[in-house]
Amino acid sequence: MSDELNIMESEPLVRDRYVPKEFKLVGKRGVQRRDGKEKAGGKALYTRDVALPGMLYCRLLASPHAHARIVKLDTSKAEKAPGVRAILRYDDPELEGKALEGLETKFNAGHIASDGQAFLHGKFELAVTQEQWMQGGGRVLDGFAWWEGEQCGVAIAADTIRQAEDALALVEVEWEILPHVLDPIESLKPGAPPAIEEINKKNNIIRKVKIEEGDVEKAFKESDQVIEFSIKREPYTAAEPEPMSNVVLWRGDNVEIWAHQQQAYDGKMLFCAKMGIPLNYVKLHIPHQGSQFGHGGNPMMHHTHGLHVISAILSKRTGRPVKTLYDRRDTFYGLSQDAEANTKFKVGFNKDGTITAVKLDTIVAKMGQYGIDHFMDNTRIPNLLLNYLEAQCNIPPAWWMRCEQNHNAFCLSAVFDHVADALEMDPVEVALKNDGVEGRDMAYLAAFKKDHGFQVRDSLAEIVEKGKTAVDWDAKWHAPGKKVLPNGRLHGIGFTWDHEWDDIRGVSCVGLMVNVDGTVDILAQKSDVGCDYMTTHCRIVAEEIGLPIEHVNWRHFEECGFQMMTPDGSCNLCVDAYASIAAARKVRRKILEYAVTPTTLIDIEYPAEFPGYKVEDLEIVDGIVRVKADPSVQCPLSEVVKRATVEQAGTRAPVFDWAWHRQGRYGVQEGRHRLCRQCYFAEVEVDPDTGEVEVTKFVSVNDVGLAVSPESCEGQQYGGAYMGVGRCLGEEVVFDPKTGVKLTGDYIDYKVFTIRDIGKTVNILHESGMGWGAYGLVGIGEDIATVAPGVVGNALHNAIGEWVDEHPVTPARVLAAIDKAREKGIL
Amino acid sequence: MPDFEEGGAREVTLKINGDDFRILVEPRENLREVLHDRLGFTGTKEMCDRGACGSCTVIMDGRPVVSCMMLAVEAGGHDIETVEDIERKQHPLIETYADHNAMQCGYCTPGFVVTAKALLDRNPDPDEEAIKSALEGNICRCGTYPAHIWAIQAAANRLKTREA
Amino acid sequence: MRRFKHFDASSLDEAVSLLARFEGRAKVIAGGTDIVGTLKDSVLPEPYEALVNIKTIPGLEGIRNGAGVLKIGALTRLEDIAHNETVQTKYAALAQAARVVATPHIREMGTIAGNICQNTRCWYYRCAHNRFHCVRKGHAAPGQSLECFASDGDNRYHSIFGDVKDCLAVNPSDTIPALIALGATLKTTKRSIAVKDIFPPSDEPTKMTIIDSDEIVIEVEIPEPQASSRSAYHKVAIRKSIDFPIVNCAAVVDFEGDVVKDCHICLNAVHYKPYVPERAEALLEGEPLTDEQAATAGEAAVWGAKPLPMNSYKITMAKGLVKKILIACREAG
Ligand code: FES
Ligand code: FES
Repeated sequence: MSDELNIMESEPLVRDRYVPKEFKLVGKRGVQRRDGKEKAGGKALYTRDVALPGMLYCRLLASPHAHARIVKLDTSKAEKAPGVRAILRYDDPELEGKALEGLETKFNAGHIASDGQAFLHGKFELAVTQEQWMQGGGRVLDGFAWWEGEQCGVAIAADTIRQAEDALALVEVEWEILPHVLDPIESLKPGAPPAIEEINKKNNIIRKVKIEEGDVEKAFKESDQVIEFSIKREPYTAAEPEPMSNVVLWRGDNVEIWAHQQQAYDGKMLFCAKMGIPLNYVKLHIPHQGSQFGHGGNPMMHHTHGLHVISAILSKRTGRPVKTLYDRRDTFYGLSQDAEANTKFKVGFNKDGTITAVKLDTIVAKMGQYGIDHFMDNTRIPNLLLNYLEAQCNIPPAWWMRCEQNHNAFCLSAVFDHVADALEMDPVEVALKNDGVEGRDMAYLAAFKKDHGFQVRDSLAEIVEKGKTAVDWDAKWHAPGKKVLPNGRLHGIGFTWDHEWDDIRGVSCVGLMVNVDGTVDILAQKSDVGCDYMTTHCRIVAEEIGLPIEHVNWRHFEECGFQMMTPDGSCNLCVDAYASIAAARKVRRKILEYAVTPTTLIDIEYPAEFPGYKVEDLEIVDGIVRVKADPSVQCPLSEVVKRATVEQAGTRAPVFDWAWHRQGRYGVQEGRHRLCRQCYFAEVEVDPDTGEVEVTKFVSVNDVGLAVSPESCEGQQYGGAYMGVGRCLGEEVVFDPKTGVKLTGDYIDYKVFTIRDIGKTVNILHESGMGWGAYGLVGIGEDIATVAPGVVGNALHNAIGEWVDEHPVTPARVLAAIDKAREKGIL
Repeated sequence: MPDFEEGGAREVTLKINGDDFRILVEPRENLREVLHDRLGFTGTKEMCDRGACGSCTVIMDGRPVVSCMMLAVEAGGHDIETVEDIERKQHPLIETYADHNAMQCGYCTPGFVVTAKALLDRNPDPDEEAIKSALEGNICRCGTYPAHIWAIQAAANRLKTREA
Repeated sequence: MRRFKHFDASSLDEAVSLLARFEGRAKVIAGGTDIVGTLKDSVLPEPYEALVNIKTIPGLEGIRNGAGVLKIGALTRLEDIAHNETVQTKYAALAQAARVVATPHIREMGTIAGNICQNTRCWYYRCAHNRFHCVRKGHAAPGQSLECFASDGDNRYHSIFGDVKDCLAVNPSDTIPALIALGATLKTTKRSIAVKDIFPPSDEPTKMTIIDSDEIVIEVEIPEPQASSRSAYHKVAIRKSIDFPIVNCAAVVDFEGDVVKDCHICLNAVHYKPYVPERAEALLEGEPLTDEQAATAGEAAVWGAKPLPMNSYKITMAKGLVKKILIACREAG
């Protein structure tokens, strides 16, 4: 029992040593979601809903050109428009030096880099200075635009949104239109116009990375077979449900901010740095967030301090709260990190299915992922070579968007399926043959697991069995292009695998306050982007202290000195959970100490509730403190708290404690291998006449180590499936090639998938306990959406018998692939 | 200044959740913004603002409609039901949505709940296909779709037991 | 979104005179789901001055089954049409088409007349803030020549039967192909006209239909199909909901045994107006409708199509769709 009071040290290469043997709440089904009724009933408050007395509405000018400079800006008519209270222009002296970047805080090159082993091994070459590189978004309000739709020039605050928009229509702008470039490959050609002269006049190269393990050329020569192919992926965007907004109120020396951001405290730090305001003069509120999928964390986007600076200056000048709003088109403001990714592959392998070498040449627009990472993170492939280039283009900033593994997962899927196809082997077999870590095999990994105190389990082997059964793989898998269903459609089934993202990283801290009635408040500010962190942490705290879950609640939204990482369904829970477990164990100990210690209040002495007992003799069960050996000796926890807290005239000091946890460096800790695996199966039907695709079944099997809130983990599974299938088949940000204007500015043209677009999802959680997170958990949430385009792509290949090498797989591309397959006689 | 000439701004009486609201509206104002920004019915969310996502759904004369595509001047005289009323009357959907985790960020959720309420009003025992048909105009970026089927069927069952 | 005036008409006469008063600068608003979008996006260089609401006119909504003809009031909601039993059984293609318009919510608001008269979805034309002042919008400034941005832009969704006065936009309506195949007629305040005839001649590309700016659709009439005929409709789109068609198609086939007695096919989203593939119709008549015959009809349906750089796939798709719809008609029995 005393074990339970032990707190895990911040030791990145040690697994959680103090996992309770049994859980009452953690991992149990049927616990009602804590924010459920509030959200279902429309009572949950989002930033978009915040309205303060006297609030002004601010709208920004959006550039109609992909690359242009403001030559003349005439705001005189707008100034006189009804309801206009303040106008902020790009040439305002107060905007001087307020760049949209994040160098002041923790952001650095490493942060931007791809997560995973590749980050540790890669050789960087920045073509521009680091400062320039970080300047992806220009200034808070600039006199030039680097992409169509960029917020620039002028911000207008008026009594109503309508008035602000009416006034904006009266602004006269004279633009100098500059040549633009959209395509990364075009952008790298000699003679291409500089996409962003302010950063780099010479060329459009942003960054080069080379990663080399072993000797690929030698390995290609020695391999039984070598294949080459290439893929291209068009950009997608977060399409976050809640359109961007913020509210800022300047009160005397103090500033209050209501933010819509995933890492809102970063936004606050950046804002304070830019404005020269001390942190303790700014009060940050983070209402519920209409999700962001990582996208809202980019310090180079207006999302972070840009909007805060604008609203704050306008609030200071008008004396009124200011809400700056984006409309839906504005909100399609950034792109997923692999804005556009092109990769050429060369793969060597042997007849038995072992892959010997993988070479990738990747070119991405703006910022991206290498594509090589997961070959390092979870395969035994010894020879790897990556040549990676980032090209500047006149497109919106790129940033992580569910998630930074998109291209990595995609490349892994593509390589494994191509190899299986070339060998006519079951792709599940090929995966099992090549599972490993950083070029080393499963025997090495087994020894590693043992050395680090994990059970030695073969995660991949275990989950593929479950997945194969769920999808009836052995009966359904067939040679590519070889199964026509009675309805005339082509049947396809696909498989892919990867490691489960743990991404243990960063710092988290939390306070716990025990109220006099024995209930507990969790104190920590974080953004609620939907991963059900409230229920999850309420469970953990209730479990660890010994309370009914109803006795624990979350004081969300408000600054209280403690910050937890966001979101929590995915990777951050690994760290966040350590912090809440530690705080709960400390509070529990404190309560038990109070229970056995007498209290003196000035002149009155109160005897201990359990005189003569030691802390070790007691336990807390369901909010009752009792003697382990004789549970009939008991009292409600509230009695202990009441006596222990010093009260006079209604004020009291709380029973309180806090804890923090840090777990390794950002990215991945050297030597901390990823041990849990995930696998997916997709079943599709393709109409050969029209190119229509139906995803009839999507199976996710995730070894999450341990599922704290199983229903929420499943939510991440099917939720990710819908997003990922949408990305595979429809989501695409389309720019007009000639003008660079975005053509997909709404939910009609940008295709977010609906309830109709997957027949059935099957969601299987596997719990091997092999995570580095608290209780042995790993993350879930980013993975599925990231991996799904790969597995659906594989299923489509199985149906058609020909690869679709450009994504998204639109009917046009399906029909082209069918044509090719027919020409080759496959279909 | 609104234009008060013929065909310009005018007073309308909106009947929302059984209460009358007499307000001055411009023709270009849509029902969603009047509900959300002016009358404080903040459960009627703006997501796409183009009729494509259903998060601004209200029930008008028994029909689930998207309030962002409806001019407020045309909404006078009709019965409008928002999520606030569904919550206030403790419709079992609220509870079953929480039980079945039929949300993540929750931004789209009120729109789903209102759509589901309109469905249950018409069809007290919807099967999976009927639910999908009713919800195919609601976008959930978090992809919570399957949970809505469970939550709506659970609510239908509770309504049945409540009546029995 | 710019200001406009708004009038509730209490009678057709009042509506017509209001429309006439604005001399083409006023528009009818029915369900509003299309026009409100264009107003929000400020797609036109010169916005409409006024909207005339006709929902306040009594008697324009409802489905009546008369002697040999089905009468659908102009304001009848698409959702009501989709769920009407008579429509489902006798006019299946229309029920199927109405059922897949946009979303259920839009169908609860959107009307049959609105679906017929809707504006194009060309993403250049509809791009917010009039980013593309194209040929379709007219109103060239002095010295400015207007172009179609799709012609050398992203034309994956555009016409496969060529431009009309340089414009490559297509008609996106779901219900029109079904109505044309079923031989529907519109009754308006000015005339009675077959649906297939409401589209402008090829020298007036800025208009979706020839219905005058002061003319109002009152009713859609559809003759009862032969008992021996069957109809079907299908739309190809990326999503199974929300989306406008990439290509859609309806057909009504009257059979005598296996043999096609009479056949009407209509494609949409392939040209500035719905496209009736007469060659395909002709070759089917008098022959048994085999799979091969259906495929041949598909080939014939796209005769004369000329793809743009990005949309040759739409030709393949249209071919395949015609085949599929014909087979669906055959199997519907
Ligand atoms: S906000 Fe109204 S339907 Fe999307
Ligand atoms: S729960 Fe986030 S959009 Fe639906």
